[in-house]
Amino acid sequence: MADEPERIVSGSQACPRRLNRRTLLLGAGAAGAAAVGSTVLYAGWQSPAPVFVARNQRYDGDLVRTLRDGLVAVGLDPQWVRGKRVLLKPNLVEPSRAWPHRTTHPAVVAAAAEVFHAWGAQVMAGEGPGHVRDTEWALVESGVQDVLDAARVPFCDFNYECALAVPNGGRTSTLRELYFPESVLQADLIVSLPKLKTHHWTGMTASMKNLYGVLPGTIYGWPKNVLHYAGIARAVFDINASLPPVIAVVDAIVCMEGDGPILGTPKPMGLLAIGRTPTAVDATCARIMGLEPHRIGYLALAAGRLGPVAESKIPQRGERWQDLVEPFDILDVPHLRGLRA
Amino acid sequence: MPWLDETLDRLADKPVCGYRPGAPPAVEPTALAAMALAAHRRMSPAGQALGWLAEIQSSDGSLGIDAAHRTPKWPTGWGVLAWSVIDAAAQPSPSPWHAQAARGVAWLLATEGKREQAAPLLGHDVDLVGWPWVEGTHSWLEPTAIALLALKAAGLGDHARCREAVRLIVDRMLPSGGWNYGNTMVLGNVTQPNVQSTGLALAALVGEAIEPARLRPSIEWLRRTLSPSTTTISLGYAVLGLAGHAASPDEASQWLAAAYHRTLQRGASPYALAVAALAALGAACPWYRRDHRPPVTRHGTKAEPCSCTPAAREVAHG
Repeated sequence: MADEPERIVSGSQACPRRLNRRTLLLGAGAAGAAAVGSTVLYAGWQSPAPVFVARNQRYDGDLVRTLRDGLVAVGLDPQWVRGKRVLLKPNLVEPSRAWPHRTTHPAVVAAAAEVFHAWGAQVMAGEGPGHVRDTEWALVESGVQDVLDAARVPFCDFNYECALAVPNGGRTSTLRELYFPESVLQADLIVSLPKLKTHHWTGMTASMKNLYGVLPGTIYGWPKNVLHYAGIARAVFDINASLPPVIAVVDAIVCMEGDGPILGTPKPMGLLAIGRTPTAVDATCARIMGLEPHRIGYLALAAGRLGPVAESKIPQRGERWQDLVEPFDILDVPHLRGLRA
Repeated sequence: MPWLDETLDRLADKPVCGYRPGAPPAVEPTALAAMALAAHRRMSPAGQALGWLAEIQSSDGSLGIDAAHRTPKWPTGWGVLAWSVIDAAAQPSPSPWHAQAARGVAWLLATEGKREQAAPLLGHDVDLVGWPWVEGTHSWLEPTAIALLALKAAGLGDHARCREAVRLIVDRMLPSGGWNYGNTMVLGNVTQPNVQSTGLALAALVGEAIEPARLRPSIEWLRRTLSPSTTTISLGYAVLGLAGHAASPDEASQWLAAAYHRTLQRGASPYALAVAALAALGAACPWYRRDHRPPVTRHGTKAEPCSCTPAAREVAHG
């Protein structure tokens, strides 16, 4: 029997509970968004944060070219990527072959893997599904397993990996620290690859809310109920404020409207949205959905702190968002009324 | 079954195991491995696994995720289940694990999910109390099912907490059958079932006096949903749940063998292998034994089975 919180037992290999020097040396971003990688990637929220939007995209089209062009257009330097650990994070919440618009399409994951491989990165993928304990089932049902196998991209099961506590870099919720999987903390760059959907609690989900999925279920549960008690918007902000550098590639080709993020209906948009600042990308997506981004709880918290939400600070690359607006249906419930632009 | 022998050899080689090969040992896979090994008469490695669980048990009786993460404590149910089924098999003498099980039982009985405010657009009865994943949060399906299995194996099936857990699990069943993580309806819309949750819920309800027609849609949904390509952990729990209700598919053995080979290709997760080895037992899984030792308390063995007795109250609040 043992009571010491961090005791190593019987000489067996144990998972450390907190960051140690080795982990820090392995990962560029472990100390949060202010760490090494951040300063390379971002000039800070005060600077404009460009967002690239491409239209007429199809899952069987040349997504590799669109992603490559988009990433370069928003200022990602392929030379910087060489040799870096790049972690792809699709959204695989409750995958179902009957509901493909619920999760990131495998073709988008495959395209991202190909682009970063071609740029010389060490590419990995990972996810910690929030409702499903069998992660392999989520991978197979979503179709993502096949593309990872084909691209020889290793998968990190965030729900069951060794989890390490880091200080809550956002401190808007009551959570003093956040537990992240080792592979997340060791990544030089996280690529949030969400499906653009409405969300019945937060209004919308895109690249920032997608990062709920980096938190391990073993620590936060299925669902990650601890975060609900902490406040979803605050938890989203805190997670984003505590992670290594994140960029966003949003699958908005076939989106979900209505009762998202699980039970909504397909909304074909044919778009990909790309940016180095998730706040700016999600704000742009909100505008395209016909929502006022400052009224989305986590974007309101992030505005001016994690990135810009104001239109004047988000230079448009590719298509103008104003030409793409197609309001998404949202549930008629009190907490979502008033989100419309 | 050659695949089963190979699986047991792998588990016996490293019975204190993690969720994947080479990962730090964790409570859930180690408890499952212990039960699989013991049920297949591999007692020595099973004892190693149980001993490791005992070594990391906290003074309040709980078990965390692993040696370093003492919270959250939801894996406690797995530890109690493993210690209890092996304790039961050791009759008439108590096993070395009797005291550990008793301490774990005390923690389980003292731990409750948080009640929520009733909301008209939620589908379940928020006043029913089961077990949470994390203390201080709501009761959810799987931790409640695990705790129920554990307490029944510890001989406390008649305890009020177990009776309420059964009501909670039945209440969380989806209208057209099956279970998910534990929400039947959100903002007025009915949610969808999941294989693993449904298998575990059915397993927890084995032996309960529930009208067969009430469970039939769930059993039928699960049977319909399984296929030769169902992933190992989902398949394992599904087979366990169905076998407990005499509804295992004829192809179960064949599918488990195929799943074993896929698991090897994916890195041979000890967690998945342990679930598969338990599933291979079908209705003979030790979870379903009903010859358990009399109820355990933190002071030793007592025979009062009823929640309304002083002894049971002591177990609950001691």
